[in-house]
Amino acid sequence: MQITAQIHLTRASGFTLAVDLTVKPTGVTALYGPSGSGKSTVLRLLAGLEHTKPSDQILISSDAKIWHDEKQFISPHLRDIGYVFQQPQLFPHLSVRRNLEYAIKRRRGNHDLTLQQVSGWLGINHLLDARPTSLSGGEAQRVAIARVLLSGARCLLMDEPLGAIDYAARLQILPYIDGLRRVLDIPIVYVSHALDEITYLADEVYMLDQGRVIASGRIFDLASSLTLNSHEGDAVAAVIEGVVDTHDPDYGLSRLTLGSQSIYVSLCSQPPGTKVRLRIPARDVSLTLQAPLQTSILNVLTGVVSDIETASAKPSLLVKIKIEDHYILSRITRKSLAQLELSPGKAVFIQIKTVALLTDPTQQVSLLS
Amino acid sequence: MRAILPQWDLNLLSQPDITAILITLQLALTSTVLLIFLGTPVAWWLARSRGVAKIIIEPIIALPIVLPPTVLGFYLLLAFAPDGIIGQWWLLATGKGLAFTFSALVIGSIIYSLPFYVQPLQVAFENIEQSLLDAAATLGATPLDRFLSVVAPLSSRGFITAICLAFAHTIGEFGIILMIGGNIPGETRVLSIALFDHVESMEYRQAHVLALGLLAFSFTLLTLVYTLNRRWQMRFTSQS
Repeated sequence: MQITAQIHLTRASGFTLAVDLTVKPTGVTALYGPSGSGKSTVLRLLAGLEHTKPSDQILISSDAKIWHDEKQFISPHLRDIGYVFQQPQLFPHLSVRRNLEYAIKRRRGNHDLTLQQVSGWLGINHLLDARPTSLSGGEAQRVAIARVLLSGARCLLMDEPLGAIDYAARLQILPYIDGLRRVLDIPIVYVSHALDEITYLADEVYMLDQGRVIASGRIFDLASSLTLNSHEGDAVAAVIEGVVDTHDPDYGLSRLTLGSQSIYVSLCSQPPGTKVRLRIPARDVSLTLQAPLQTSILNVLTGVVSDIETASAKPSLLVKIKIEDHYILSRITRKSLAQLELSPGKAVFIQIKTVALLTDPTQQVSLLS
Repeated sequence: MRAILPQWDLNLLSQPDITAILITLQLALTSTVLLIFLGTPVAWWLARSRGVAKIIIEPIIALPIVLPPTVLGFYLLLAFAPDGIIGQWWLLATGKGLAFTFSALVIGSIIYSLPFYVQPLQVAFENIEQSLLDAAATLGATPLDRFLSVVAPLSSRGFITAICLAFAHTIGEFGIILMIGGNIPGETRVLSIALFDHVESMEYRQAHVLALGLLAFSFTLLTLVYTLNRRWQMRFTSQS
């Protein structure tokens, strides 16, 4: 299912939402922005849950079928979508099991996920006979995700699904949503204001602010964009995707490949061949023109300077470096820039001090020096 | 049995009184069943509507609570007359007059008891979060399905209160029935009117039997409503 939406609406409060977007048939399309940016409204419009005025211009279609324009409106229950709300919205009068069966009874399409499979996978087997009101926030949200999976949805819409749960439970649930992305052959639209969730999950990102799309593209491109990061200071980090190659339990390390080069991270649990995401903070990346000899830094890669941030009065600036097909950022001082005579196209050696493996939240940051 | 019961208990209820009780029960039952079908959509609409129409409709439905039953009865009597708005239509549809019939009582009771049925239900409906219905919709539930599978079970307290209030209210009504039903034995002579007749004819013993019976019935019904409500409340709050 591919969804396209052209939305232009105004609210009595004066808020204007003007968003064009395309949800690709697979992968996670994320809507990212501060609260009040209109991202949840966009998601509710995709689901058909939002009221609109006749003066609003809206064109939403899925594949070739119109869902919402000036003449037609397809009701939410006919759109074959699944929706995960910020609050789990479990039916309080039904047990967890009956909540899941509610979805099975009304299942759209014909996939063969069973209640046992889904509840085993989400770790909610022991909760099946409980009442929804007795569950913790994280447990309830896992049940809500299970319920949506069993409903046979052809597209998953998730509206800040981790917004109402505590940090520990978030870390527990994120891998499940990441698992959905890997296992399901359906598009996921994910709304969040949390950058870590976006970098962890998103394939395509629409950045919203005050009802407008201010940037959109692949997460890897946005994370390494000089313009988007120019005001971000120490938090700037690129996101790249590597493939697990070998594990070295003796040293507690795993080797990943980035094209023909490799990078070490602390030992992860993913089997060889798995794609994993890495977060590389710009301030932990340094550049040299000669191969560093006898360094304690494990990860030394080669690349080419791709772009350099326009110099300002600040002492440091960002340099964008291309490593094979990947882009990372390095924060260096203006003095270093001048001494190394860096310019686009120049080959450099890249020393990376820390790499955070995003796909294994049990070990958020691994310091490798 | 005969030996231990006092002599005056043998004819506790006369045949006309029994007929009046049966008519009353039949009236209350018919009106309540019809109210469930008519009043439930009204309550749902009032609970969900945010439009201008609600501002006018809501007080109209609540009018019977404050209006003297005789006022309502008077206008209904005019409407039910063979040349009245409803009476004319009724005559055309059934070939019979409407005033002073059991059907007239049913229509009158429905109008009179509507607020007693609608208001508790409206409150129950208003307490159901829209997002819960949105969740059901996105799981593929049709509007009717959402009502039956989510709204109805979550409003069961409201339904019980509404049904009991409407039923009890119909059993006890007097003024409106006197105006539109007259006092025809076996057709429109209900309990409250039979009681009034007994008092008029100084038959205090029979009046006592009916009055005490009504009192006991109302008390039992209200006790039942409160007990059920409490039990429901415990069921939904004890889980957290």
